Amino acid sequence: MKHTVSKRLVAAGGLFLSLLATVAHAALPPSAVASSAPDEGDPRVEAALLVDSTQVKPGDTFRVGVRFRLDPGWHIYWKNPGDSGLETEVDWDTPGSTVGPLQWPFPSTFRTPDGFIVTHGYEGEVLLFADATASAQAQGTLQLSAAVNALVCEVHCIPADMMLTRTIPVGPETLPDAEALPTFDAARARVPRPVEDSGHAVKLELDAKQLTAGQPFAGTFTLTSTRGAALPALEKDFFVPERIPGVDAVRLKEQGPGRFALEGKAEPDVPEAEPRLKGVLRLGTAATGFHALAVDVPLAPVVAAVGVGPAPVVAKAPSIKDSLAAVKPAAPAAPAAASAGSSMGLGMALLFAFLGGALLNLMPCVFPVLALKAYGFTRMVKQEQGRVGAHAAAYAGGIVGSMLLLAGAVLAVRAGGASVGWGFQFQEPLFVATVSAVLVVFALNLFGVFTVGLDGTSLAGRVDQSHGLLHSAGEGVLAVVLATPCSAPLLGTAVGFAFAAGPFTVLAVFTALGLGLALPFCVLVLVPGLAKRLPKPGAWMERFKQVLGFALLGTTVWLVWVMGGLAGVDGMARVLAFLVAVGLGTWVYGQAQTQEGGRRWASLAAAAAVLVGAGVVTLRFDDAAPAAARASSSVAQAQPWSDEAVAAALAAGQPVFVDFTADWCLTCKFNERTVLSREEVRAAFTEHQVAFFVADWTRRDARITARLAEHGRAGVPMYLVLSPGAADKPEVLPELLTVDSVVDAVKRASACSPTNRTDGSKVLCAAGLPKP
Amino acid sequence: MKQVLTALTLGAVFVSAPAFADAEVGKPAPAFTLKDEAGKEHSLSQYKGKVVVLEWTNPECPFVKRHYEADTMANTLKGFDAKKVVWLAVDSTAHNTPEKSAAWKKSEGFTYPVLQDASGTTGKAYGAKTTPHMYVIDEQGVVRYAGAIDDDPRGKSDKKVNHVKTAVDALLGGKPVPASTTTPYGCSVKYKAAS
Repeated sequence: MKHTVSKRLVAAGGLFLSLLATVAHAALPPSAVASSAPDEGDPRVEAALLVDSTQVKPGDTFRVGVRFRLDPGWHIYWKNPGDSGLETEVDWDTPGSTVGPLQWPFPSTFRTPDGFIVTHGYEGEVLLFADATASAQAQGTLQLSAAVNALVCEVHCIPADMMLTRTIPVGPETLPDAEALPTFDAARARVPRPVEDSGHAVKLELDAKQLTAGQPFAGTFTLTSTRGAALPALEKDFFVPERIPGVDAVRLKEQGPGRFALEGKAEPDVPEAEPRLKGVLRLGTAATGFHALAVDVPLAPVVAAVGVGPAPVVAKAPSIKDSLAAVKPAAPAAPAAASAGSSMGLGMALLFAFLGGALLNLMPCVFPVLALKAYGFTRMVKQEQGRVGAHAAAYAGGIVGSMLLLAGAVLAVRAGGASVGWGFQFQEPLFVATVSAVLVVFALNLFGVFTVGLDGTSLAGRVDQSHGLLHSAGEGVLAVVLATPCSAPLLGTAVGFAFAAGPFTVLAVFTALGLGLALPFCVLVLVPGLAKRLPKPGAWMERFKQVLGFALLGTTVWLVWVMGGLAGVDGMARVLAFLVAVGLGTWVYGQAQTQEGGRRWASLAAAAAVLVGAGVVTLRFDDAAPAAARASSSVAQAQPWSDEAVAAALAAGQPVFVDFTADWCLTCKFNERTVLSREEVRAAFTEHQVAFFVADWTRRDARITARLAEHGRAGVPMYLVLSPGAADKPEVLPELLTVDSVVDAVKRASACSPTNRTDGSKVLCAAGLPKP
Repeated sequence: MKQVLTALTLGAVFVSAPAFADAEVGKPAPAFTLKDEAGKEHSLSQYKGKVVVLEWTNPECPFVKRHYEADTMANTLKGFDAKKVVWLAVDSTAHNTPEKSAAWKKSEGFTYPVLQDASGTTGKAYGAKTTPHMYVIDEQGVVRYAGAIDDDPRGKSDKKVNHVKTAVDALLGGKPVPASTTTPYGCSVKYKAAS
């Protein structure tokens, strides 16, 4: 139509122009035409109500539309206006006929000179139309009215309000309007068709399986032709997204024929339903002609989707007796360690770190190493008494040294602007794989597959001599490596304190932690009589050593499971394949130790080749998103955590329990198995309608790291209980949960809920009542 | 052991820092220091401890005109505790001048300052795209609301919801903001063209 008009304009002279305009409107009654958006008296837009038929038969379908003609440089807006502007609106009032949804031709994209503001709309001329159906009972004439509301902008914007009306006679036949028909057909050709109808297929693959509220996302969008035809070239602004609730800044970047990189961002406010990627795609160029496709594919569920159940209908007003029963001082449930927060002093932090480090020895992750050390020590006491002190020093040195290294890594990362937490390195699949391999190598060493540190030729009968100083130091390092995922009681606070403080404090706290970890072994050395009480060495030691090897393999099982959470089933398979290769390489190495000359070197080369080859092939981990329910499998009705979801639950009057956890955190798993999944706890949760959220820190999550830091923690576990009546004062439970501490905390939170939902200002808190 | 240490260092390197642009709900608001129409300086930091409402404005925009005719902003502000809430209008229009702001302020009869941002630096830091475009910043300086003034782009609704009022009331009441992002509507901000 635009072309036809311009051709006509060229053909016609200036004088002819006004005449032509009159002719074009000759068929239209004055009420069907209006102009608006006066700019210093000059209207910027002219609208006309067009119908594609001059007469309509009852029951027949016809088309009605509003044609906009805009002054040069001025535009109106598409259904998604973009960063500013306002959707053009046409309200139909058509007694005797029904009008369908408005059809939008493909819009143009407008940018401010600096590209900061991007909008979508129409300039020049456009017909927004709809299909209409005359009622089967229609008689006489059909009344058609359109109330048009548009924002007309050049640099500045002027709202336009227009009312257009006309009538169409009802007759025995539907007669097309030869004048208007081409206008409708041209507009129809510019309206996007559903992808399937156009002989194409689209596929969307997001990098993550979920969108996270407030976070950007990316993916790959592919377009293929189902009829085997080549994909046409594209012109600038080929994709215009519709307004997608909860999703912003959607963009497609062409990477190759039919292949696009998708970018977007999930808004902090997330809709409950899964958002869909909607928009229009314009294929072709001005030279080849365009055709537009309507894209409508599911995007991905949003992690922060509010999944809380319906709010309780009646908030039970607690009786005085109930309230009094619920009043228990919070302190006994939350020892100093949990509540000290960042207000604690350095001395206290160092003490906590030291004690926490000592307690780490009892944690399931470190215990095998300690046992190993004790075993080696037993032998040493008898054989090389003079060197016991040196070994103890080496062990402690290994521990403190690697603690300092860890502190250095923390400082380095923090200097880079990121926040990290205790155990953060277990969020890296490569790290987990490496630690698993080291454990397997240790175990195979204990099984006698190979020996460490001595010349192979003299090895045969001297396996036990392998206990060098370096070995002791190495065991110290391993103890640290394994200790990190076990955040012992007291430790969380101390490390949290350190992470929030200056470099010196970080180093001091980590040193104290290391000394604490080395303590039990050093005590054995420093207390003279103690060492003598250890059992005598003998044949039992060889057996015990091999049993310890299995303990290490058991730890590996746990690490492989952690890997499952990080990189999915594929990741587990890869790390297991790698471990088999490590076993094979180690075995070949062990064989080489008994060989000589060229054969030995060949074997060593083979062992190295197996290790490196397997490593290169297997150690590639996708960040495959683990199933959402994984971390929470042991706890019923768990929902993925987000600030928004928590806020929504609180707003609905529900007490909230947040479990900050990670797969590699054994303390967390222990609490989940022994306390959180207990019937009493579940019953309490159900009774008080507690919303249970799991904040899974198995993989990096800056939001969770930030929340931990807020409560003076640098690692998991952390348990928060929030009350709808005092949402800003969460209670932090101790790292080691008990059924009573959880149930009591939940009761307190519930007792502090608003008593009257319609008047949220009336809040009755148990804490505010006098103590019994 | 070397492997372990290497991996540990690598692991540390992989923890990357997220980068943010624009004022985002839940994130600290971009800092600014701007002069108002009378030449007095205002910094966001000086209002710490108070809820700050930022109103991107342009007296020439029909949407802004409509809201000032209806006294939308004044009525919204009137509902707040003056000791706890600060209202700042910001004009990022390239051709705006303090004199124009002063004249407008006088003719409309309001008292809050109109911050002069003709360079558009602050507007772009916030990602302000329309007039009016509203931001609510809490006592700690964290953005808690970004979007439209209300849910009535066309000015025709009888039962409009004032999003800014809802957000500020929620903040003062210690409750979460129910709709923390909405789509702003209105004219585009007339930023200075990039040179």
